[in-house]
Amino acid sequence: MLRLLATIRKEWQLLLRDKTGIILLFVMPVVLITVMALIQDAPFKDYQDVKFDILTVDNDHGRLGRYVKEGLASGGQFNIIDSLEGKPVTAERARELVNDGRYKISIIIPAGATAAIVSNANRIVNDITHRMGMSVSLPVKKVPDSLNVTIYFDPAAKKAFKGAIHQSVDNFLTQVETDMLLDRIKYQLRSKDSTVANTDTLAIRLQAVGLKEQSTGTGKQLDVISNSVQHNVPAWSIFAMFFIVIPIAGNMIREREDGSLLRMKLIPGSYLAILAGKMLFFVGVCVLQFYLMMLVGIYVLPLLDLPQLVMGQHPGATLLVAGGIGLAATAYGILIGTVFKTPNQALNFGAISIVILSAIGGIWIPLEVMPAKMQLLGHLSPLSWGLDAINDIYLRNGDIEFVWKNVLRLILTGLAMLAIAGWVEKRRMN
Amino acid sequence: MSGISVKELYKTYKGSAEPTLKGLTFQFGEGRIAGLLGPNGAGKTTTISILCGIVRGDSGEVKIHGLKQQAAHRESIKHIIGIVPQQIALYPQLSAVENLTYFGNLYGFKGKALQAKIMHYLELFGLEKSAHKEIHKYSGGMKRRANIIAAILHDPKLLVLDEPTAGVDVQSRSMILQFLRDYNRQGASILYTSHLLEEAQSLCEEVVIMDEGKMIVQGNPLALIQQHPDCKNLEDVFLHFTGNALRD
Repeated sequence: MLRLLATIRKEWQLLLRDKTGIILLFVMPVVLITVMALIQDAPFKDYQDVKFDILTVDNDHGRLGRYVKEGLASGGQFNIIDSLEGKPVTAERARELVNDGRYKISIIIPAGATAAIVSNANRIVNDITHRMGMSVSLPVKKVPDSLNVTIYFDPAAKKAFKGAIHQSVDNFLTQVETDMLLDRIKYQLRSKDSTVANTDTLAIRLQAVGLKEQSTGTGKQLDVISNSVQHNVPAWSIFAMFFIVIPIAGNMIREREDGSLLRMKLIPGSYLAILAGKMLFFVGVCVLQFYLMMLVGIYVLPLLDLPQLVMGQHPGATLLVAGGIGLAATAYGILIGTVFKTPNQALNFGAISIVILSAIGGIWIPLEVMPAKMQLLGHLSPLSWGLDAINDIYLRNGDIEFVWKNVLRLILTGLAMLAIAGWVEKRRMN
Repeated sequence: MSGISVKELYKTYKGSAEPTLKGLTFQFGEGRIAGLLGPNGAGKTTTISILCGIVRGDSGEVKIHGLKQQAAHRESIKHIIGIVPQQIALYPQLSAVENLTYFGNLYGFKGKALQAKIMHYLELFGLEKSAHKEIHKYSGGMKRRANIIAAILHDPKLLVLDEPTAGVDVQSRSMILQFLRDYNRQGASILYTSHLLEEAQSLCEEVVIMDEGKMIVQGNPLALIQQHPDCKNLEDVFLHFTGNALRD
């Protein structure tokens, strides 16, 4: 125990003397998560908080145009713009403005669109009433129209964004067509049977089954929106924690070069106790780093107009995950420090390998948007296990039961890396 | 009883075509100051590393104070032996007291007893005024002296020193050599390597001159000089046996 405690104290003394090391371990990660959260705030807001201007050209001046404009405006995500500099926007002007990138979307509702829908609804009602033996006939156009609502998208618009807009406008069209059809059926029924109440609408009856969004968790689900802070703070914290391999590997190589490792090995007693002391210290540093960055997410980022980080309701599980990540990162540092002979080799390999592991592990962009093969590869990255576990706690309100598998993976990987380091060291002695 | 006994020791490092040690054999009595001398590449550091148990020999037998250097006795030998490596095996960012406290703790010493021992040695080696100064601020001589203290905290019966006076001033060298004589007078054995043959001649009761992984000659320095009338000092004896060819 004395060896272990003495090693922890020695590492603490070394860290206190190493001002650059302290900056690398604590200040740089804080700067990193702040910058990343700020940079990625806009892309995350694309589909959430940001309002888009939609150029609307209503050549119809009927019910369809009104429905589309009111429907888009009611969602709160779009500003409907139908005139510029006091003049109504024309279809040609709208196309130019979107093409120039000054607007992301434009919707052109063609003249006669509502009339075409009315004519179509009348045709259906006439067919029904005729089959029912009724003689009433509503006016229809002789030749059915073939009109399209046109949507212009900024060429740089994302596919998912285009799909969402397309779906919304399609829904409005269906809604208008259904409403008009139901109105006509209702009108015909009223003219046939005067006992039908004016207030009784089929439309209301059709909404008897609605759509309700509900959380999937069994316990008290958190009302957390995935935003820049919620993704970037944990993700880049894990990345920064893994960067502890740089000081650890440097520390191990320096000890080997200056002979203090030799001295330690010549002292009676197990070297494992010394190694355990070193590991405990650096795992502690990792956990401290993690909570420092979480505090930044909670208290500092909101001062920069970013959302506040929500940490879930299971602090024990969070501590366990942070410890697991710290253990894997520390063991990786010890492995690199053992395998490589010079600080330059170790630092370059350590830094580049962490960048690769983080890129494939979903730190930069979520794994879900990667190609299938990359996703498979990504699930092999310890950084992805750490991030999955943190997301389970923060976004799914998961407890230890949710995260133990990923924590076990991190711990087993850490132990495997230590075993390899031990084997390399033993081989070197022989 | 022999302090150190080496018999038919062989060692070839992986990837090396030539063996470093080729049946090295020598013996030093307990309680003596012995010198292991040889040109660069003779195998001195490998021999010391095998004696200390940091490197394993391929074959042969090594005994320290009667204990075979093998897994069963490795821990016991570590209690007996103290090593002063050629490098300054101390943390440069820590002070002498912090370094010595750490290594003392690793030996199992703690508290006031350890601090008293550290202060005693710091005074003995003239480092008491710089006790709390970081090692990287020490001069070369001061570093060498602190390096020796770290090896004797557990009062080893055998002190192994690899070029302990390399790159130090005359005062520090004189102090270190005097300490080694005093430490030996207290009953400890001392094995020492150096390229300073005048120093070895004045300090050692016995020397082994080795070259190309083998023992060339062993004996008392003065006796060796007398045995070779054309040699005036140990350096002449050394050159007589190892030749004038430059070594890598």
